[in-house]
Amino acid sequence: MPGELASLVDVLRHRAAEQSNDTGYIFLPDRGGERSQLTYADLYGRAQAVALRLAQRGKRGDRAALLFPPGLDFVVAFFGCLLAGVIAVPMMIPRRDSTRDASAAILADCGPRFAITCSDLIASARPDLTERLSNARVEWLFADCPRGEPDHANGALSAVERTDIAFLQYTSGSTSTPKGVIVSHDNLMRNLEMIRIAFGNTRQSTHVSWVPHYHDMGLILGILQSLYSGALCVLMAPVSFMQRPLSWLRAIHDYRAEVAGGPNFAFDLCVRRHRPEQMEGIDLSCWKLAYNGAEPVRAETIERFHSTFARYGFTANSAHPAYGMAEATLLISSGRRGDGSITATVSRNALQHHQAVSTTQNEDVYRVVGCGRSLIGERLAVVDPESRRRLAARSIGEVWVAGPHVAQGYWRNPEATNTVFRAFIDGEGVRGWLRTGDLGFLDDNGELYITGRIKDLIIIRGINHYPQDIENTVQDCHSALRRHCGAAFSVHDQNNEEQLVIVQEVERAYRQQVAIGEIIATIREAITREHDIAPREILLIRTGTLPQTTSGKIQRHLARHLFLTSSLAIV
Amino acid sequence: MSGGAHLRGQRMVVFVPGNSSETEIRDWCVKYLARTLDLPEETVDPDAKFARLGLDSANSLYLIVELEEWLGIELTSEVIFEYPSIAELARHLARRATGENSVR
Repeated sequence: MPGELASLVDVLRHRAAEQSNDTGYIFLPDRGGERSQLTYADLYGRAQAVALRLAQRGKRGDRAALLFPPGLDFVVAFFGCLLAGVIAVPMMIPRRDSTRDASAAILADCGPRFAITCSDLIASARPDLTERLSNARVEWLFADCPRGEPDHANGALSAVERTDIAFLQYTSGSTSTPKGVIVSHDNLMRNLEMIRIAFGNTRQSTHVSWVPHYHDMGLILGILQSLYSGALCVLMAPVSFMQRPLSWLRAIHDYRAEVAGGPNFAFDLCVRRHRPEQMEGIDLSCWKLAYNGAEPVRAETIERFHSTFARYGFTANSAHPAYGMAEATLLISSGRRGDGSITATVSRNALQHHQAVSTTQNEDVYRVVGCGRSLIGERLAVVDPESRRRLAARSIGEVWVAGPHVAQGYWRNPEATNTVFRAFIDGEGVRGWLRTGDLGFLDDNGELYITGRIKDLIIIRGINHYPQDIENTVQDCHSALRRHCGAAFSVHDQNNEEQLVIVQEVERAYRQQVAIGEIIATIREAITREHDIAPREILLIRTGTLPQTTSGKIQRHLARHLFLTSSLAIV
Repeated sequence: MSGGAHLRGQRMVVFVPGNSSETEIRDWCVKYLARTLDLPEETVDPDAKFARLGLDSANSLYLIVELEEWLGIELTSEVIFEYPSIAELARHLARRATGENSVR
């Protein structure tokens, strides 16, 4: 039925009318805090109050940066923006000790008229934020102000069109060239419907989510899909989960949740922190769909999670690998509820030659988890990225996507929009394929397997990092480091987890061993502070030995290859 | 990410009130961080700021959880900001642990 409604605003109104006293959202605080909740009527009322203030002070199409700690005020502000026709821009709160995180670049890129937050954050926790945002000249609004404040309704809010922009999704930080994915109301409604069908969600599909609200997965699968299907959404702070992952499982039990998930690392973390004494009385048999996405899905993770938690009622067919990205609103491929996961055992050797060939030879086996099939109303293709020809099943190429959920492009970036969102397959008429930058293959049943990446992107714990940003941080932190002569890339460690590696040229004058240790420590500190990643390896190499193209472009793939084959000219 | 798994043995260490001194906590942190962050132990300077050692927020939460389990105390996620080096953290924890135990 939500499929007949034009936008999420209509869905909210519908819920507020039909299920006014149902609890839509609950926020579980960390130890000792008070649980907060919103009925659909509360949410609509509070969102309207925010919307009226926005409409009074600004105009449709203005942007509003949303800066919220975990909690329900974010949900209120997000819907307030939708009601007012103001474009929401969910943002991560800049970390206290970082000097140049992505927030400044995002603000400069989207030029917000408003910054919406909650009064507590500015008053006590992070008074530095107003100073940090002072250049952006935004007008601050508080989403937690009481409803009856003097601002009175000045005319009704105008209707939302399907083609209107709902929000901009900045897929985590790029301090150099942030790209805001433009998601329209139509994109959202279409993808939410695809998700509802694939997940088999109903009003009973209670969801427990700890994934940050500024992350596309947390926002769309958690917060928005719940409202769309009329189901309760229980939110936890990401920090609560990271410290006590089992509290997530307890919440799934307590609320008899059907749906809960996160990036692959979340399932590993639960296994690692599993303590039988903390699991007493927990019954996970209610958990029907444990989605796993936002970073590569590992077969070992799925198996270990099942073998650890089966004794608490977790069933193997609840494992639900999925694939998606903000450029397609969120979800691109998924199984249907209850499908479980499929693992292909292919030849490592053949993978090098871009073919997925089954093998039983132990030393050559590479296990890839299937990420489900295409969604209803969507087309998937695997394409040779050079020739742009469509490839047959079991051939490895770039994954391309077309459908009504493919976003409008990048905010004020026609060039990147054209390259990424308007691709065409050689010999086929349609223009408007989305190039995902990921490599994979389709099997004969249409199951999609992701095997690698051609775009320069580093994904750590489900968060995207752009190598250019990290390289800039490195080169700015010490005068011995040559500008534009460094490469950041990721490799897989023995646990198959992505780890950051830095290779950087050093000026001749600094080659004495004494200085090297100090420089490496300085780089490590800068990366940790600015990007919140612990680099696994930092290697300083000789002047002029980093592989570059003739035009001076850094060849990260080649640098990675030299690293893996121990062929770098290390100082 | 791989820290906890290697440290299963460490959890067997039983905290005896008044016995787990500042030095013990400090040495434990040095060993833990060396393994987690894949650094040679001798390069983990107890006086260095955590960021200098490459402790990101996820790994700092894992460190806090390990310390909570070992010492049997509750810590907030802010403790690393307030005591931003191994030496400062160990001093604080030793003091807190003794304090809490003497109250009991």
